[in-house]
Amino acid sequence: MVEQAQNGPAKGQPSAARQRSDLGTVLKVSAAALVVLGVAPFFLDIYTVNILIRALLLAALALTVDLLWGYTGILTFGQSAFFGIGAYACALVFTHWGFGAGWAILALALGVLAAMAVAGLAGWLAFYHGASPLYGSIVTLALPIVVTQVVFAGGRTTGSSSGLSGFPTYYWTIETWFWIAGAFLVVVTALAWLFVRSDMGRVLVAIRENETRCAYLGIPVSRIKILLFVAAGAIGAVAGFGYAAFTNVVAPELTGFLLGTELLIWVALGGRGTLIGPVIGAIFIDVTSSYLSGSLPFYWKLLVGILFVVVIVALPQGLMPEVTKLWRRLVPGAKRAAETPALERAPVREVRRGVEKPLAVSGVHRHFGSLQVLQGIDFVANEGELLSLVGPNGAGKTTLIRCLADGYERSGGDITVFGRELGRWPPDRCVALGIGRKFQTANVFATLTVAECLRVSRYRLEPPSLWTSDTALELPEAALRIVEETGLAQSLDTEARHLAHGQKQALELAMVLALEPRIVLLDEPTAGLTRIERERIGAILTSLTERERLSILLVEHDLDFVREISSRVIVLHQGQIVLDGSVEEVVGSALVREIYAGTAMDGKGNEP
Amino acid sequence: MGGLLLDILTTAAILFAVASGLMIILGVMKLINFAHGAFLTIGGYAAFVTTQLGWNPWLAVPFAALVGFVLGLIVERTIVRPLYTRPLDAILATWGLGIIIGQVITIVFGREVQFVQSPISGAIEFLGQSYSTYRLVLVALAALLAVALTALLYFTRFGLNARAVIMNEDLARGLGIDSTRVRLTTFGLGAALASMAGALVTPLISVDPNLGLPWLVNSFMLVLVSGISIPGLMVASLILGGAQVVVSTYVSAILGGLTIVVLAAVILRLRPQGLFSG
Repeated sequence: MVEQAQNGPAKGQPSAARQRSDLGTVLKVSAAALVVLGVAPFFLDIYTVNILIRALLLAALALTVDLLWGYTGILTFGQSAFFGIGAYACALVFTHWGFGAGWAILALALGVLAAMAVAGLAGWLAFYHGASPLYGSIVTLALPIVVTQVVFAGGRTTGSSSGLSGFPTYYWTIETWFWIAGAFLVVVTALAWLFVRSDMGRVLVAIRENETRCAYLGIPVSRIKILLFVAAGAIGAVAGFGYAAFTNVVAPELTGFLLGTELLIWVALGGRGTLIGPVIGAIFIDVTSSYLSGSLPFYWKLLVGILFVVVIVALPQGLMPEVTKLWRRLVPGAKRAAETPALERAPVREVRRGVEKPLAVSGVHRHFGSLQVLQGIDFVANEGELLSLVGPNGAGKTTLIRCLADGYERSGGDITVFGRELGRWPPDRCVALGIGRKFQTANVFATLTVAECLRVSRYRLEPPSLWTSDTALELPEAALRIVEETGLAQSLDTEARHLAHGQKQALELAMVLALEPRIVLLDEPTAGLTRIERERIGAILTSLTERERLSILLVEHDLDFVREISSRVIVLHQGQIVLDGSVEEVVGSALVREIYAGTAMDGKGNEP
Repeated sequence: MGGLLLDILTTAAILFAVASGLMIILGVMKLINFAHGAFLTIGGYAAFVTTQLGWNPWLAVPFAALVGFVLGLIVERTIVRPLYTRPLDAILATWGLGIIIGQVITIVFGREVQFVQSPISGAIEFLGQSYSTYRLVLVALAALLAVALTALLYFTRFGLNARAVIMNEDLARGLGIDSTRVRLTTFGLGAALASMAGALVTPLISVDPNLGLPWLVNSFMLVLVSGISIPGLMVASLILGGAQVVVSTYVSAILGGLTIVVLAAVILRLRPQGLFSG
């Protein structure tokens, strides 16, 4: 199955010929949508066209909520803030400064820039390394409240609670406004479609599924989230600008928290993570609300509330996936054929060998409050060495692994990787130094396929395209071997959550090796595996150290396994290194036997 | 100066009372109840009904607590229970519940603003200052509430079970504690506390179907800053409520309205576990 990349393209730059995109389909669907929108005003009464303009603009705003929440997992209450900023930019400039084409462009630019600045600031606050998802939501909750209060504080300039109205604007026909709003929505949806179906779109889903695993694959999660938030803010501001220019009225409600939660309701009902669902949800609910606001206002809102709760509890993915399911049942063959990427061997990267030690650890300690978990850890790992860390539960093995893969973890001490200080770097930058970490329990992206999981792991070495996806999957030799020898090559299209436990473990190991690391940290990679699987993994690990001169640190409880494959063993006990030697030395040590028998002395010869 | 101090103290007491129900639910169930504002509104209307029926205004408080408790039990059983493993979805579902409650109240009572009879009116001399008696009574009630909640958590069987669930739910279940029952009771209690607080604040503000909404976000922020402990919530209410009063008095009432939200966002950035968690 493996094809040699012949005279492969330049490193990290997949050739254009290998790129696949939905552009053809997107153009066809967009053209159809434009035709429908083009003729719609001639068949609808003026009132409907009027409220549809507002709904089309809000649908574009709902789309940004879908990108953030549905795809990336950022529950945001605050997108209304950006809509409001765009709307007020228009109203303020037209009211106070002047009106005309130049002023309109200036107002739009100011609105977009202000929204991007606010989004960047909020994103910087909300999405730092180690932030809980809840904190991000708190910031997005505070955002519209702050913007609304700023509007209130603006006195006569912003019109305070009554807003601004009657400023000059373009008195185009209502059809023209409808076409502008429709074209804007179609363009935003088309771009979003290409984006979420691209390789970068898979990275967003990976962040939603497992942010920690992403960080340890070298993906700059915080930066991606901030940039996405800024882009969403810009789109929201354009929509808001259009709304103000069309209606000639702005009010504080446009920036408010309530509109922010309404957007969430539309997206949830339509179907988070489906693009088309939220667009339809927004248009349908907003238009119906306008129609019923006269006759049945409270009952309609009550109905939406009930429907929202039912969908969240019983159909968390919203209504769109149900529609798709029905469509596929009614129209056989509508199911899109899965496109399995071809596996290819990545070009071998030149590395300097034998110059610096891969890993030098000195004086590392870690405490939680007054509890010393690690103290005075000194050791060096060499190239081509399989170094096992053993010790009873609570000896600090996993804590040590954590300190090596995340610069924030240790309380003190120095770690040098190939001569470079690890410093206080987050996990994604530690990956750039050449460190790959596999977690104790299989840690993969549940709803991504095997091929997509591996592709996401190549983020740092082959930056994913924002608009297309690669038809080939380049993997380094080591990762390819795992994929082929464990049968993963036959299940490239299987979603990771459907894999058997042993295959999940193998997939995660392949993902770590896809990073082309030079130091691999493995936390019980064989836990829960069968004997045959374990032997296979053992053989691969030994060959990695021998052939590729990798330096592997292995935490393991199975001492037979350790004895079979290690070239050196470090024994940890109560947070200290008590022995560092060859397999024979450790196996023959009376101290080690005592530790495992539970009658150990600590370093000073006292009973623990 | 005395007036400012009393404003800070009474504001903190009100915030504490309003936020305590949200904190109990978050502490035990690890769940953010965005219907908290709606339960405050229910309490407000319970007080309104008390006034309409011509009952003693003090009866509004236990009446509101009872209504809140019963509704809380029903809501936990029907909406909240399936969402234990989906905390972000639980926020959304309880928000939806808040919409439902708000609309039902609007349909039953109408949209217009209502007024509730205060159990105590007038002002008394305190610290050389003439000050609203009812606001001072609220301080005493909030202190009583803090004592009662502490006693409930530390001196009752329910409290022991609840603390076990807080620390390690799996282990608690393994030891035979019926954690489902603890959760049910907790949600009922949290809803009862919210309704009670709604009834307590209504003599100070008017009653309308959106009464609870402005309190929701502030309560949420206070609870997170408190690090989820009763003394923590008292201190958080004093600091953030105090800052709100100071900003409202000396800078502008509008900026005062966002003091709690902004300060909380900054504090949580610096100390994600809140101010007072160990």
